[in-house]
Amino acid sequence: MPDRIYFDYAATTPVDPRVAENMIPYLKDQFGNPSSLHEVGREARFVVEKARQQVADLLGASSDEIIFTSSGTEANNMALIGFVEAHAEEEIHIVTSAIEHPSILKTCRYLEKRKVSVTYLSVTPDGQVEPDSLQAAMRPETRLVSIMTANNVAGTIQPICELVRIARQHGALFHTDAVQAFGKLPFHGGQDSPDLISVSAHKLYGPKGIGALFVRKGIRLNSLIHGGGQERDLRASTENVPGIVGFGYAAEIARQGMASETARLVSWRDEMIGHILGKIQGSYLIGHPYRRLPGHLCLGFSGLEGDMIKLLMLLDKAGIAVSTGSACSSNHPGEASYVLQAMGLDPLKARGSLRVTLGRFNTQKEIDWFLKILPKTLAELRPMTTDSFSSR
Amino acid sequence: MSMTVSDLPGLNCGLCGYRTCAEMAEQLPMKPELLKRCLPMSEHRERSFETKPFSVPSPKKDCGACSVACAPEKTDGVKWKDSLGREFDFYLEHFPEDPGPREIIIPHNPMITREMEIQRGDILIGRPLGMSCGCPITHCGVVMEVDKRTGVIVWCVTGPLQPRQHGFKDVGYYIAEGYEGLIKQTRCEPKIGMRYYFQPQLCMLQWRHSGLVNYLNRLKDGYQVRLEGLWIG
Repeated sequence: MPDRIYFDYAATTPVDPRVAENMIPYLKDQFGNPSSLHEVGREARFVVEKARQQVADLLGASSDEIIFTSSGTEANNMALIGFVEAHAEEEIHIVTSAIEHPSILKTCRYLEKRKVSVTYLSVTPDGQVEPDSLQAAMRPETRLVSIMTANNVAGTIQPICELVRIARQHGALFHTDAVQAFGKLPFHGGQDSPDLISVSAHKLYGPKGIGALFVRKGIRLNSLIHGGGQERDLRASTENVPGIVGFGYAAEIARQGMASETARLVSWRDEMIGHILGKIQGSYLIGHPYRRLPGHLCLGFSGLEGDMIKLLMLLDKAGIAVSTGSACSSNHPGEASYVLQAMGLDPLKARGSLRVTLGRFNTQKEIDWFLKILPKTLAELRPMTTDSFSSR
Repeated sequence: MSMTVSDLPGLNCGLCGYRTCAEMAEQLPMKPELLKRCLPMSEHRERSFETKPFSVPSPKKDCGACSVACAPEKTDGVKWKDSLGREFDFYLEHFPEDPGPREIIIPHNPMITREMEIQRGDILIGRPLGMSCGCPITHCGVVMEVDKRTGVIVWCVTGPLQPRQHGFKDVGYYIAEGYEGLIKQTRCEPKIGMRYYFQPQLCMLQWRHSGLVNYLNRLKDGYQVRLEGLWIG
C-alpha cells in the first residue's frame, strides 16, 4: 500500500521538482529587480521575458499578450473590472454562467452594484452551457461574455469555440477562466479562441502566487493596481521573478508532455469510472461522461450523500487525499455546492459529491489501491435509505 | 469508416485517450464511436446523457409546500382529493419488485425485534399507533431488512392472506417511521426537504398522509422517494 496518495490535483498540484530546481537561483543569488538597468536587473528581465514566452507558447499567443498577475483570481478580476472601467462611459451587459468560480461570480455581483447588468446562464444536467442559451441572452449592449473553459467541481468542458463564435457575431469580447484547463486542453490563439484567458501556475505543477491574463492585442483594460508601470502599465508591482520563472518552466514542461500526460489521465479516469459505476451499487457520475477534464471524477453514492464528509475523513485516515466539491468550499462543509445545484442536483446530492482528481505523479498502483479501498470505506457509512432502495 | 488521420484535427491533445491523432485513427475502423471523443472536432455537444425529467402537469406557484394554498386542480382526470375530500399532491406507489408498499417501522418496544428473533422473510402483523390520529387498520407484511441494534424493521405491507396461510409474529403496536416508493402521478415537482400531502396508492381507507421528502431520485418516468416524519391527515 502506498504511504500517501494525493488525488486532489484540481485543488492544487505539487510543484514539479524540475520547476522548483529552476526557481532556486532566483530565490538566492539572482535576486535582481527586472526594472533595474544594471546587469543584475537585466538578468532578471531576461528570465521574466523568457517565462512570458513560455506561457504564451502554451496558449498559442504572443508574449506581449501575457500579463503576469498574482493568481487566477486576480486575472479574473482584472479581466472583468479592468474591462468595465476601461469602458466606463458605456452601458455594459455581461453574460456569464451560474457555475463560474467565485472570483467571477463575486466580481459580477460587485459590478452589478456599479450599474453593470449581468445575466447568469443556467447549465444542462451534465454541466454544459447551451450555445442556444447564450444566443438568447445576447443583447445590443452585451460587451463581454465570461464562461469558464472547464468546471472545477464537475470537470465538464464547455464548447468554448462555439460560444466564442456567438459572442463574436454580437460584437462582444469573450473571456474564459481557464485555470483548470490550462496545460490539459490545447489553446491555439486563433479567431475562434477567447480574447481574454485567465490562468494560474499552481494547477500546472508551478508555484502558488503567480497567474497570468492573456489579453488579445488591441483590447483596452484598466489597471486594478496602480504604481510603477510594470506589465505594460496594467499590473504595477515588482515582478515575482522566482514565481514567474517557475510558471514559465511549468508551462514549458506541460507543452512538451501534454499529449502523453493527458492520454494517460484520460485512460485512468475512464478505467476508474467504469470500475466504480460497474462495481459499486448506487454510484453515479456527475458531469459529462467524456467531455470532462482528464483525470477528473466527480462521483455520488446514492443514499450516502449526507455522509460524504465522513467518507472524506475515512479516506484521509487511510492516507488518500480527495475532496468533496471544490477545495474552496471545504471551508464550508455544511453548504451544498452551488455548481451542482445549478446542474439540477437537489441540495442533499449537491453537498454529497466526491471529487477525485488525478495528476502527473499518480501511479497505476495508487489507482488500484484506491479502487480496492473505496468500496470497503463506503461500507462503513450509514446509508440514508434501506438497502434495497439504494440498489434499485 | 472512411475517416483517416488527415481528417482529424492533428492537435495530438490526448483528450480522446490516445496520445496522437494517428493512434486514434488506427482504432477508428474498429471503434467508430471513438470519434465523438475527439473534443476539438466535436464542438457540437452531445445531448445530455442524463434522463430529462418527466413532464409535471402545470406546476403551480407555491405548489408543494401546502396543498391548502393551491387552488384545486384536475389533471388527466385525477381529482387530487382523498376519500374525505382533502387535497393531496401526489400518489405514492410501491416499487414493482416489492410485494407491497415499503415501510420503515419500529415496534413500540424495540427490544422485541431481538426477543422475537425477527428476520428477513418473517410475516408480521401490527397496528401503526401514534401517527397523528393513528391508523385504525392492523397491517400485515413481510420483513425485508432488520436492524437488530436499534430494532428498526423494513417490511412490505402485503395484506392478510399471507398471515392466514403461513402464520405470523405479532409485534403489537409499532410506529411507521418512513416510506419508500415511487411517484408517478403528481401535480407538482417534489423537492427534497419539503413536506407534502400524498396518497399511498394502496391505503385501504384512501386517506391522505403527509410526510417530509428526505431522499429523492429523478427517474425517467417519475421519482424514487423516501418520506419520513409521517402523519395521517
